[in-house]
Amino acid sequence: MSDESRQNFLNRLRIQKDLEKFTAGALARHGNVEDIVARIAALERRDQDFVYAWVELIARSNHELAAHFIGRVASAFDKMERSGVEDWVDQAMTTFDNRGLGFAIEALENVDEFAREYASRHVRCGFDDASGFLRHFVRGLGGRELRVISDQSTFTDTESLYLPDVVNLYPEPEQNFTVYKLTAVHLWAQTWYGTWRYQVVEQLIRQFDDEQPMAIFNRLECLRLEACIARDFPGLSREFRLYGSVGEAGDALWEEWRRRASRLAERDASAADSLALIEDFRELPLPPLRPFEGDMFAGRVRQALFARIEREKSAFQRAMQELRDKDDRGEGGGDDAQKQLVEVEMHDEAGAGGEDVNFQLTIDGEVTSIPEHMKDLMGSIMQDFGEIPDDHLEPLERGEYSDALLPQKGDVDGDDDPDFNDAGSFSYREWDCVRQRFREGFCTLRELSVPPGDEGFVAATLDKHRGLLKSIKRSFEAVLGESRLQRRQSDGDDIDLDALVEAFADVAQGREMSEYLYTRYRNQERNIAVMFMVDMSGSTLGWVNDAEREALVLLCEALEMLGDRYAIFGFSGRTNKRCEVYRIKDFDESYSSAVRQRISGIRPKAYTRMGVAIRHLGQLLQHTQARTKLLITLSDGRPEDYGGYKGKYGIEDTRHALLELKQGGIHSFCVTIDNEAQEYLPHMYGPANFAVIDEVEKLPYKVADIYRRLTT
Amino acid sequence: MSTPAIHTEQSLITNEPYYEPVADEVAVFTAAYRNKLPVLLKGPTGCGKTRFVEYMAWRLERPMITVACHDDLTASDLIGRYLVRGGETVWVDGPLTSAVRNGSICYLDEVVEARKDTSVVIHPLCDDRRLLPIEKLGEVLAAPPEFCLVISYNPGYQSVLKDLKQSTRQRFVALEFNYPSVEVEQTIIEKESGIDTTGARQLVKFGHMTRNLKGSGLDEGASTRLLVNAAKLMHEGIAPVVATDTAVAQALTDDEDMLKAVHELSRSIF
Repeated sequence: MSDESRQNFLNRLRIQKDLEKFTAGALARHGNVEDIVARIAALERRDQDFVYAWVELIARSNHELAAHFIGRVASAFDKMERSGVEDWVDQAMTTFDNRGLGFAIEALENVDEFAREYASRHVRCGFDDASGFLRHFVRGLGGRELRVISDQSTFTDTESLYLPDVVNLYPEPEQNFTVYKLTAVHLWAQTWYGTWRYQVVEQLIRQFDDEQPMAIFNRLECLRLEACIARDFPGLSREFRLYGSVGEAGDALWEEWRRRASRLAERDASAADSLALIEDFRELPLPPLRPFEGDMFAGRVRQALFARIEREKSAFQRAMQELRDKDDRGEGGGDDAQKQLVEVEMHDEAGAGGEDVNFQLTIDGEVTSIPEHMKDLMGSIMQDFGEIPDDHLEPLERGEYSDALLPQKGDVDGDDDPDFNDAGSFSYREWDCVRQRFREGFCTLRELSVPPGDEGFVAATLDKHRGLLKSIKRSFEAVLGESRLQRRQSDGDDIDLDALVEAFADVAQGREMSEYLYTRYRNQERNIAVMFMVDMSGSTLGWVNDAEREALVLLCEALEMLGDRYAIFGFSGRTNKRCEVYRIKDFDESYSSAVRQRISGIRPKAYTRMGVAIRHLGQLLQHTQARTKLLITLSDGRPEDYGGYKGKYGIEDTRHALLELKQGGIHSFCVTIDNEAQEYLPHMYGPANFAVIDEVEKLPYKVADIYRRLTT
Repeated sequence: MSTPAIHTEQSLITNEPYYEPVADEVAVFTAAYRNKLPVLLKGPTGCGKTRFVEYMAWRLERPMITVACHDDLTASDLIGRYLVRGGETVWVDGPLTSAVRNGSICYLDEVVEARKDTSVVIHPLCDDRRLLPIEKLGEVLAAPPEFCLVISYNPGYQSVLKDLKQSTRQRFVALEFNYPSVEVEQTIIEKESGIDTTGARQLVKFGHMTRNLKGSGLDEGASTRLLVNAAKLMHEGIAPVVATDTAVAQALTDDEDMLKAVHELSRSIF
């Protein structure tokens, strides 16, 4: 025997001995032991260690099972990567725990099937894998902010992209990922390049309400969008071509359609052109859809479209009104103001997309600059109409305008609620933007406590989010920062050479020598107090459910670490006579079990009268006398209360309250989950003082982020 | 071989720095300069503020001194101090004093980062007295008409502990800088890097896509400077997607999903 083969032989002997020992002899009963051992000996050292570790572990439960493991593990390594093998044995152990030895052995023996399933799981691209990336990617491509949702069907309604749960058509994960991405891009292209223009949707629904025309329209649009993407995104276009084959016959059909619909490949082709061509294609066989192409549901589009058009039209008209008001030099207002000639010009280089469109707005011939949030709005309107329709440019009717500014209906004191008592309530004024003055003592506010909920909730949350909590704490640690070197101290660990040199120079000049000659490291003293204002209204978006309460718990844990003074109050109410703030944690309260119980006891209440809550909580913040005072609002939408507190009135009062606080040295910030926040938050809080998050889990991170920026 | 030191008197800019005007900032700056008014430049990083000051210094034929402000910068760093040299105490002018003496343009970059006591120094220079008191010398310098103070700051996401006070900011003529328009940005990228029009156009488009992401995960989109850097790499023969990954994506964010998104956005165009 050569040296090497003797070495191998010894190895194998040793392994066989070890394994037989671990399995208390059960291995011997499996026959073909030499073969099995040889295969294990051929594994890499790391994998052998793995085998050893697991054998020991399994053997503690059952020797027979360990022997089966040894018998199949080499095959497992043949078919799968380490993580796959780990999954396989893990799953078998769980089966052993739950269902006993027999089933566990079966699980181990079914290595082949497991390997196949594992491969498919890791090769495919699932919604969870891609959605985070897709949200950013689609946002970057341009246009309105689209949601990404998984669904049975693949389509878009112009507000969201509905994508399949999984794509598993190819052997490589990269390929499946790319097709998933292309699917999203194709749907995005429909909204960007005008497939769902208002006029088109109207005609589709009116004229072509059954399946065949829709199917034709779908394919014609596929061709038109193909050409648009080829012009604007050469990289994507290459990928579309690469994955666009549907077999020889299918490809030939597509070629035929392409030839007949060559008009659609032109730069100025629009969805209307596709509509016009539908009749010509009725007799032709339909080419099969390509892997990244989905369905079309005109009805769903219509729903989303109409809702959005209404919303954006009034937002646009409101914004225009503000611009007009600014422009109006106070010359008698009224009818004169309404006759201003407003024109919107568009310089559209691309022809179809919204990105290259520059808007120019003139009022009575004078070019007016367009505020940022209006640009987004106009972009979105462009996508729907292909232009800014004339009726959008018409000034709001007298009636409509004052409707948005309805003075408070709350003058009527109709509250005969027996529970309501005036004692212990606070009185606050409200800003009336119509009359441009305060309504003194208009609001009555009470401070209530949140009733305690189940404390187990907090423990469960901390347990569930252990990992998350760790990384949140780390982000907050960054806020604390390192200790900083303080120079020119009267006492410290080191000499400040600069100061010393200057002192010598002073002495040489005949002056007194300074005593501030030392340096020391000190943690920067923080003198900060933060008030968290949580919207507890019952609105549909809503902060107050499990996920949000969990986020608050995590936030508190992290804040405790920082050592800053903080308080958490909820707010809601109904009309100006019943404004309420709910004490969850006061400044001087420690984060006790009472506080924890209150957090879990948070429940949705009524409406959102923000101005009075801000004024009251601002007062509490002032009392802390901290050097830096922060008010962070966790919001889910606009300020709205029963009785006329809404629209411009609500926004202006809230804004005024924030300005009053600012004059008192309180900095305000808002974190919201409302996607449409851009329309009103910059006006209330300032352009850089708010953040929109799309998942509540991100709340503690976002707050850490804000904290870090604002207080270091 | 010793590295040449730049003496402040000799910091006159002799070659025209490349600057692409966006609006009427040149005229406004010139008017402010002639009227001995200090200037404040506002805007995000990488938008041309420093390059603009260099250009104006060249145009007005004055030397320029830049001070990058940080949170250890004190008033004496700006004004000067006594040093001990060969047993003798010698006064050495700081950059601000030097600029005042020579009638240069002094540019304080990111001025809010500096310590609070620096604003005490800036104030008397910024009103119509234009005086620089030097306590340790017992001197008060009067700035010559050629002297000009320029400061810059980025108003987005300011810390509440560091803000430009009203009493300071109201002494300045303020110019706002932002990302240039599509055509101007394209021209800038072409001229700075030497790449062709197509490449520049694609980079600008890529830049706009990253700016779409501001607020939904990115703090800032790609600045013009980053795009120019990517262009320079491309001009050297680096593949476009690699250039954007290294010069732009990795500089903007560390978040995996976002990095992937920016990477794919770049791939979609090139």
